[in-house]
Amino acid sequence: MDSLFTAAVAGLSAGGAYAILGVCAIFTYRLVAVVNFTGAAIGAAGTFAMVALFELGMPLLPAVLFGVAAGALAGLAIGLVMTTWFTGSNASTKAAVTAALLVGIIAVGLRLTGGQHPHYFPEIIPGSAFRLAGVEVTWAAVTTLVLSVAFTLLTEQFLARTRTGLQLRALSQRPMAAELIGIRVRLLALGVWAVTGGVTAFALMIIAPLRSPDFASLSLLVVPALAAALIGAFSSFRAALIGGVMIGLIEGGVSAIGPVSQYRGAVPFLVILAVLLWSQRGARWDEAR
Amino acid sequence: MTTFSIGALQVDRSGIPVIRGVDLEARGGEISVLLGSNGAGKTTFLESLSGIIPVRSGFINLDGVELAKLRPGARAKAGLSHVEQGRTVFPAMTTEENLKVALHPDADLKEAYDLFPELLQRRNVEAGMLSGGEQQMVVIARSIVNRPRVILIDEMSSGLAPVIVSRLMRAVRQLADDGMAVVLVEQFAALALAIGNRAYVLRRGQIVYDGDCAALAGDPAHLHRLYLGDAAA
Ligand SMILES: Nc1ncnc2c1ncn2[C@@H]1O[C@H](COP(=O)(O)OP(=O)(O)O)[C@@H](O)[C@H]1O
Ligand SMILES: [Mg+2]
Repeated sequence: MDSLFTAAVAGLSAGGAYAILGVCAIFTYRLVAVVNFTGAAIGAAGTFAMVALFELGMPLLPAVLFGVAAGALAGLAIGLVMTTWFTGSNASTKAAVTAALLVGIIAVGLRLTGGQHPHYFPEIIPGSAFRLAGVEVTWAAVTTLVLSVAFTLLTEQFLARTRTGLQLRALSQRPMAAELIGIRVRLLALGVWAVTGGVTAFALMIIAPLRSPDFASLSLLVVPALAAALIGAFSSFRAALIGGVMIGLIEGGVSAIGPVSQYRGAVPFLVILAVLLWSQRGARWDEAR
Repeated sequence: MTTFSIGALQVDRSGIPVIRGVDLEARGGEISVLLGSNGAGKTTFLESLSGIIPVRSGFINLDGVELAKLRPGARAKAGLSHVEQGRTVFPAMTTEENLKVALHPDADLKEAYDLFPELLQRRNVEAGMLSGGEQQMVVIARSIVNRPRVILIDEMSSGLAPVIVSRLMRAVRQLADDGMAVVLVEQFAALALAIGNRAYVLRRGQIVYDGDCAALAGDPAHLHRLYLGDAAA
């Protein structure tokens, strides 16, 4: 039982990162109407930019800042593709496009980062913060958790209280009407892509040392991200926040249970399945009547 | 005085010509009423003017500025506003937020509330919860907060009670009297002709009448023939 608890706590930092990724996924979905499969890959690009600079001898802090900027640029690039060619497309087409882009980015990313060749991922936030019931809680876990809560609340406040937030809400509710009244919809959409790119990059940097740190594995963290977003029904930031943290905790716990620990990567998949089945229950009930 | 002139306009939808060589001129201070039966191409016409759909050929000229190649946002900045069919409020935003979101930071909402004082008491209600008439007021008010020179209005009266429709018609007349060029699209003619100056009838993408509103209002049989074409002759 104790070891289960220890392992669950170890999943906290991953959970915080999933929460941030999930909130970013909802942000992108609500504001630019794209279910974005490239989210984590964009972040991975930023993370590897940071690692490359660090390996070249740049000190950690500027390397991190450049990495965040690289993530923002990568997000901007995807945003340019989506706003230039797919603005009028329906939701499923856009999702399919980002899934295709994901495959392309992973291929290019693996090539550029030397495939499975190991890189040294510096721990951005090293050390242990405190002990909780005898279990060590790392600074990385505390930071991702605080960051995920702060990012969620900040996003909500930004949308509710600022002029740009108001315009973003209008854009999300009726893009054409927003454009017709002169809101600069393309600029706003590109801003959303860049901001989520930078934030995702930072979240991945924190948890990269805890993962098998190759480009593909980091890019596939989009699965728990979308699972968290799904828990928030792609609309509630707070539910996604809680969902992301829970997925991290469950994953951590599962990794402590000997026989199934190899399958902990399947946790987000099971969560997605469960949420989808749960959300379909009403429809089934209606059909059955 | 504003002059909004459209010439030889051709617009396709899914590769099929829908607007086939339309000329129209709307002047500041006047309401140009555009009539036509369902499917004649009225909405397509307005959407091509505001930039929602591209034009194939022709010109759209607002006081000497050519708009046909500009994006919708740029046309809005040039002084063109479009009240779309279907009461396109931002449903999860309050009345006031709906108006504010369109507003330049250094302008205010006085004119909007002057036009529709009844919106004042609904300012903190989500637009999705308003009545149809109130929603139409919000959309019209939203489209004038930045003082456009031309306003295109598509079927604002559809589905509304007659008393609300005449309220809206009065407001539209006021906008024209304040100097705007109004292009008013309606399927049901009488009320629009009563407040309008110039009338156009569109049939299958072509203008089949271009003249005085009063003349057409006084001759319903003529209007009927214009709507239906040779079949009714
Ligand atoms: N999205 C579309 N794709 C293809 N054809 C369309 C589309 N929208 C409208 N049309 C066609 O264009 C013609 C004009 O439609 P519309 O402009 O909506 O007419 P109105 O507003 O006068 O009722 C109709 O024949 C309609 O079938
Ligand atoms: Mg129409």
